[in-house]
Amino acid sequence: MSVRDVLSPFAAWKHLFRDPVSIKDPFNREASERYRGFHQNDIEKCIGCGTCEAICQNGAIDMLPVSGVDGVQTRPGDSGLRPRIDYGRCCWCALCVDVCMTGSLSMSNAYKWVEADPDKFRYIPGVDKKHWDDYEHGYRRPEGHRLNAPERIEMPELEPGERIDSFAEIVGGYSVEQARLEADRCVTCGICVATCPTHMPIPEYISAVRDGDYEAGLKLLYDSNPFSQICGKICTRRCETTCAASHEGDPIAIRWLKRHITEQVPFERYRAIIGEPAAATGHSVAIVGAGPAGMTTAFDLARLGHKVHVYEAQSHAGGMTRYGIPEYRLPFDTIQREIDLIVSMGVEMHYNTRIGADISMAQLQQDHDAVVLSIGLWLGRSTRVPGSDHRNVYKAVDLLRRIRDGEQLQAPKSMVVIGGGNVAMDIARSMARLQQQQHGQIAITLTALEDKSHFLADPVEIKESIEEQVTILDSRGPQECMVDDQDNLLGLRTWRVHSIFDENGRFAPSYDDGDEMVHEGEWVVEAIGQMSDVAILGDELTEKLDWNRGRIQVDEDGRTSESWLWSAGDMVRGPDVVHAVADGHRTARSIHAHLSALDKQENA
Amino acid sequence: MNEQSTPPAEGHRSGRDRLAASTTVAEILETAITFEQTARDFYRQLTPKVSKRIRWLVEELAEEEQRHYELFSDLLERDDLDEQIEAVIDRPAADTRFSDCIHLPDLGEKPDDQTVLQYAMGREHAAMEQYRELAESTAAGPIRDLFRYLAAEETLHKAELEKLYYETIHSGGV
Repeated sequence: MSVRDVLSPFAAWKHLFRDPVSIKDPFNREASERYRGFHQNDIEKCIGCGTCEAICQNGAIDMLPVSGVDGVQTRPGDSGLRPRIDYGRCCWCALCVDVCMTGSLSMSNAYKWVEADPDKFRYIPGVDKKHWDDYEHGYRRPEGHRLNAPERIEMPELEPGERIDSFAEIVGGYSVEQARLEADRCVTCGICVATCPTHMPIPEYISAVRDGDYEAGLKLLYDSNPFSQICGKICTRRCETTCAASHEGDPIAIRWLKRHITEQVPFERYRAIIGEPAAATGHSVAIVGAGPAGMTTAFDLARLGHKVHVYEAQSHAGGMTRYGIPEYRLPFDTIQREIDLIVSMGVEMHYNTRIGADISMAQLQQDHDAVVLSIGLWLGRSTRVPGSDHRNVYKAVDLLRRIRDGEQLQAPKSMVVIGGGNVAMDIARSMARLQQQQHGQIAITLTALEDKSHFLADPVEIKESIEEQVTILDSRGPQECMVDDQDNLLGLRTWRVHSIFDENGRFAPSYDDGDEMVHEGEWVVEAIGQMSDVAILGDELTEKLDWNRGRIQVDEDGRTSESWLWSAGDMVRGPDVVHAVADGHRTARSIHAHLSALDKQENA
Repeated sequence: MNEQSTPPAEGHRSGRDRLAASTTVAEILETAITFEQTARDFYRQLTPKVSKRIRWLVEELAEEEQRHYELFSDLLERDDLDEQIEAVIDRPAADTRFSDCIHLPDLGEKPDDQTVLQYAMGREHAAMEQYRELAESTAAGPIRDLFRYLAAEETLHKAELEKLYYETIHSGGV
């Protein structure tokens, strides 16, 4: 035995007073700050888009309905679903956090959870309360780290200088490469489908763009919207307001992708892709008004085999899309292709036929199994301020109709528009083009009672109006159309509006009459609102019908109190193309059910 | 606001003279009640003459005048009339002046919804102005308070009509 052997045990004793390397109580150790532990979800921020579920490689996430659970309230743009995590499957990869469209999902650094029941390891973060809900540390998506591009692909457009002296279409349309890049941004969550009034299959047709299968895309479009070319250009795109991508970036350009599909398929192929109508049923339906609601009803009913006659007071179909929307936004040939397609289903058009003058409602009732009234909002409202009955005070809808009808208007050198909606922008921008063509300069002032944040016009319309040298003055209350001793119109006198709505959002204007302005104008154009020309119904039918605060009363399917008469579109729902299309579908379904019931009765 | 000749009621010279000649709170309230009654009956008579499409509007106007009729009638019966009046004039309604520049129209045979609303706003405006003028020309006391109360009520009614006018006429276009 060596001396070393004798001393070795004592050498070990020297470690007796050193701090231990291992942790005395590992169960209470805090994890690192960026540890990926159990999930947290900001329930107010989450919209239930399900992108986390779609990306999870382990199938660990299921979307479950939570509306009404523990005070959780859903809102527009929210599916009412929330992710449930199964920790028997989760591998803590955090892809769900990285892809989350609103940034609501994160992971706490909590890592311990002991349960006897294995089913307990599935829970809905943010709904099923856990002690780590308020943990500050854990994994959050790093700033600037995104799995999908936040910015939309810009649509090629004519510059203001290029477009101001013509009615050439402003928007150019995506190339195939641009469209695919934009389509790639979509996470196909489908929240937009619920927002679209006609519930177009948006994720599916965007997938068709991604796949380059344009014919399949076109079929999807026309199965839900026979005005797809038109909506691809001028839709009010409610869908984009709820797009999941809009929470942390630009919404997907859904309207432009729809347009792209319609532009990629040769028009000659449309009819074959959409398919033939069903065999004739022997039923006949009359439709009054060839706008989007009437023509959608006609399209659906004709495809179901019913004979459809459309009676239109104007020389062309399209309603306000043809006679109210300027050509630089919606070219004639786009409208005409849409109408030709609908007519090709066997729809019979009766142009220049005015109800009450050329044919009566009673005659239509007698000649057809059902009648649809869809006459739009063609009469402009007037402010009726002093001087508004002057010969040079016009209604915007009348002027737009004259321009669209090809009349060569002599533009005034200066003009004032009253109104803050799209019609006001349309007439201001149309007249700006005529002024530029005829006088080489633009002098148009647009005044509105509302402040800009309450304008009803599309923000793009406002931006482009300003680019085209229209002077927009918001919060101005019209007081008088000023006329001189020789009965010449001088312009519009306005007062400043301090505020327009009260705390409940109701109209309660407050004026500053010390801030008075006179806006010079040889013309004043009123674009404050529109109404329907229901006088064509005649006193007898007007008296028979039920009315709801000035509008024809209809049930949820568009049927009036008269069993043979339906009503659809702007005149019952308010102005909007895509809502009119949705209304047309509803009305057609209701009429088809009615006609099918008649068949059953006859066969019984 | 242009002068409207029919029907004789609040806001007109004869009505103003009648109110100015009144010497007690009860007399003034009774006169105000007859004004509301006249207006209510006017709208009720107008109802079957207008298109069924806008009959709701005239019916609502008649109901509103009836509501005022009942309000003033109840007030006349109350023991705490002074307190009721004070409560209202302590919270004066703001005149939004939106309709001041709009013509007071001739209703004609077949008025549309805008004409009926213009007419109704014109009446309320005239009534409001009349009670205000009477309040200003009356010495402090219960009668002036009553005029101020009546002016406040008419101002509120006018503001409500202006809301309806905006929602009906100013839809902002398409």
